[in-house]
Amino acid sequence: MTIPQDRLRNFSIIAHIDHGKSTLADRLLEFTHTIEARQMHSQVLDSMDLEREKGITIKARAVRLDYPARDGKTYGLNLIDTPGHVDFSYEVSRSLQACEGAILVVDAAQGIEAQTLANVHLALRENLTIIPVLNKIDLPSAQPDLVMDELENVLAIPREEVILASAKEGRGIEDILEAIVARIPPPKGDPAAPLKGLIFDSHYDAYKGVVVHVRLAAGTLHAHDTIRLMASGVESELLELGVFRPQLVPVKELRAGEVGYVATGLKSVRDAQVGDTVTDASRPATTPLPGYQEAKSLVFAGIYPISGEDYPLLREALEKLHLNDASFTYEPESSVALGFGFRCGFLGLLHMEIVQERLEREFSLELIASAPSVEYRVVLTLGRGTVNVDNPALMPNAGEIEAIEEPWVRVGVITPSQYIGALMDLSTGHRGTFVGMEYLDPQRVLITFEMPLAELIVDYYDQLKSRSQGYASMDYEEAGYRAAPLVKLDVLVAGEPVDALSLIVHRDNAQSIGRRLTAALKELIPRQMFEVPIQAAIGSNVVARETVRALRKNVLAKCYGGDITRKRKLLEKQKEGKQRMKRIGSVEIPQDAFLAVLRMDEG
Amino acid sequence: MAPSVVDAPSPPVGLYVHFPFCVSICPYCDFVVLAGSDTLGPRNRIASYVDAVLTELDLRADVVDERFGRPGRTAGRRAPLASLYLGGGTPSLLAPDDLAGIVERVRRRFGLADGAEVTVEANPGPDERGDVFLQRDAGISRISFGAQSFNAAELGQLGRRHSPGDVADAVDAARAAGIGSINIDLLYDVPGQSLASWTDSLERAIALGPDHVSLYALVLDDPDAEGLTGPSGDHLPTSAGARRWRERARVAQDDDRAAAMYHFAVHRLTEAGFHGYELSNWARPGHESRHNLAYWERRPVEAVGPGAHAFDGLDRRWTAARLDGYIAALRPADHAVPPSLPPGGVEPRLDPTAAAAEALILGLRLEAGVPLLAFLEPPFDETLAWADAAGLVEQTTDGRVRFTTNGRLLSNEVFARLI
Repeated sequence: MTIPQDRLRNFSIIAHIDHGKSTLADRLLEFTHTIEARQMHSQVLDSMDLEREKGITIKARAVRLDYPARDGKTYGLNLIDTPGHVDFSYEVSRSLQACEGAILVVDAAQGIEAQTLANVHLALRENLTIIPVLNKIDLPSAQPDLVMDELENVLAIPREEVILASAKEGRGIEDILEAIVARIPPPKGDPAAPLKGLIFDSHYDAYKGVVVHVRLAAGTLHAHDTIRLMASGVESELLELGVFRPQLVPVKELRAGEVGYVATGLKSVRDAQVGDTVTDASRPATTPLPGYQEAKSLVFAGIYPISGEDYPLLREALEKLHLNDASFTYEPESSVALGFGFRCGFLGLLHMEIVQERLEREFSLELIASAPSVEYRVVLTLGRGTVNVDNPALMPNAGEIEAIEEPWVRVGVITPSQYIGALMDLSTGHRGTFVGMEYLDPQRVLITFEMPLAELIVDYYDQLKSRSQGYASMDYEEAGYRAAPLVKLDVLVAGEPVDALSLIVHRDNAQSIGRRLTAALKELIPRQMFEVPIQAAIGSNVVARETVRALRKNVLAKCYGGDITRKRKLLEKQKEGKQRMKRIGSVEIPQDAFLAVLRMDEG
Repeated sequence: MAPSVVDAPSPPVGLYVHFPFCVSICPYCDFVVLAGSDTLGPRNRIASYVDAVLTELDLRADVVDERFGRPGRTAGRRAPLASLYLGGGTPSLLAPDDLAGIVERVRRRFGLADGAEVTVEANPGPDERGDVFLQRDAGISRISFGAQSFNAAELGQLGRRHSPGDVADAVDAARAAGIGSINIDLLYDVPGQSLASWTDSLERAIALGPDHVSLYALVLDDPDAEGLTGPSGDHLPTSAGARRWRERARVAQDDDRAAAMYHFAVHRLTEAGFHGYELSNWARPGHESRHNLAYWERRPVEAVGPGAHAFDGLDRRWTAARLDGYIAALRPADHAVPPSLPPGGVEPRLDPTAAAAEALILGLRLEAGVPLLAFLEPPFDETLAWADAAGLVEQTTDGRVRFTTNGRLLSNEVFARLI
């Protein structure tokens, strides 16, 4: 069972979305008999329904493979899976820190994409050995020579290092395993030294409490040790330790260089934060390992229960989900329109969508999310300092504002060259500026833009995909704050401001956004007993106005015979509909209306 | 007449008989109807249906006798029915003998009071309306004609088989036969209908001198989505064609136009000497539908036929819509097996507050309205205050509350708050 340190290999698989990372992981599991083919279902490591449905990995996962290599020795391989979407580069970097090597999967038909570049840069930053794999060579459209040229030109990867594979057909799998053994160095670390283990992930188990995923840098951990978490200072007698196969399998000890799990018995995730160092309480290490930077939220939104009485359930659900996904933040907030809820911060829009869906599915909640916002820096007048605002409703009055700064991002777009013009238009239309362009090969270019993050999160990604017929890919990184003439656009329904609909927009766009927003709301707010004006205003200056005409008729069909029960049920449905609406002054507004901001037509 | 919240079961004051056959099915219609070879031709099922109905009448009468005594005027007997209503479908398609047989069976088993209102629904077409003289002889005192429109294009659109002129012929014949009460049904908010065609239809209806006019807003529901079309449901599944028709028609409807049509009708019918005694019904004095009033006043009404609903003052029950099960129960193939009541169900009993709300909702449909005192009871008082402030209700001098014209058009806004 115990494999000496020089026969351990810790590695990740990195890839652009859809290049076949999860399928390759499946094949590695099968080939090493970690999972027998008959128990195999595709994307084994993507255990959430949501992951299988969306075909993306959301949560990193670890698994231990035992591989009898051609040299006759059995090696212990720890595969740490990584998410493939641009929102989750934070999770990727965490996984990479627990490894010595990475398999870089590139689609032989598609070539290098934006995430390929981003992930390679992350891996190089961690000094990892990279094993390049060209996947999907079975496809008729595969162009391995062209893609190897790209790898050589763009990433300086020599073509003789590249392994040709088809995860789908099981080709090249053994070559990859051999390369892992031969090229990736074994982990270092003295098993006899004081214990140091890096927590790179955690999950919550109803019976075992907080289960942390650790990579041991030094020392040896035994089944009945008392551990101490160095940052929080909390001590706990551990309940169980083991490895991922991929289900949790207990072992008696874990040694320096190994990857496994520790069931801490702790009930609060705050006591066992990702990035903390685990040590032995009886013989503690003197210094912790360098931890992680905290995940930085880029996108913020209010999350509210549709029914106000679900607020305590939502709080509980957020706490539990946070145990499994420490990369979002939440704090209580309240809105006149939506009642009590939470201001949440996310890594990106997809992350926001996933957290909301997980809350709804795993905790049976009905939720409404306000329009996503970025975090603004507001410089106040009279030298009163700077405040950060991630909720447009809380923006100070115009008179108190000296300047507003907004976060910018540097966006890398890889596209076939015929879409350059369309993507230039798209980016400048989103207040973006062109930074540079580089040809990856004669047909494909990497274009770099800078633009406000707020513009990126509205619909940039969807538009990028649709204007390039799905061929362009993108990645982005933060690029600091810049001042801009931004204004707060308020929405008034029947004269009452609706806080949940306030937006921060560029002054030049305020009127057109106001028009689109009021037009969308006009379609979403049902006719009431009286005429309802909908206005968009900057301060007291109304920039757009629509009117929902008064309701004139709401009658049921002939109340015939004994069909009274049916009418009653139809009326009860109308009543339920009314109860689900939010009242602003005397106007009943359906939940949908609060999503109007997301539904504004282009234009 | 006060809406009476009856706590205890009591004998029926009226009886509804459903006749589920038409020559063709109109795409907007939700009622339990069969057509084609079920109605016409050698394999039509009307004869076996009539047999089954006669049997159901006997079985239902047995139950009523058991609970309330046999009909009669002496002590210990229950009062005979004040109304009988043959609806459909197109019950005017019934052969005169069958019609007479049903009326006779009702008279014998349930009793019919002197001057009882006996209504038959009729389509105006010459091949659908039946022989009005023989209908009169069978005991019919009131005919309700499904005219729907006097505009040929609208009739075509609605899938009606008759022409505008047929309505006049049908009304004339009924008058000649001495039918004492004649109703004309019209539909508004029909796709393609204009205010001009609506006023024209209304004028032509008034010109025929009916005693009663019913104006129904065309409402296109979805009984499948409401879960009413299962094996023991009270509706039949909607055909794909009807579904498509409704989807198209809904788009062509317009609430504002419909409201204008209603306002015009209120004005015009009042001028012509009718009073709107219910949201959708206008009558000359003395010609109100007694049978329908019983529903709105929440009185017990017995019912037979597939999809029919009955109320005994406490519980509401229905008979399943599917004809096979209906006939199989009442006319067992094996003659050794005695007939039994057809499949159906009983609605969950309402608690007193829900029953009081139902009484208010039904009572508010009537021009007479509801007693102010009943409406002042919590939890209804808040709705009264809201409706009053919104100008939907008004108080009468005799301590009652009723809808204003706007309130009638927005009645669901009030009902949905009461329920």
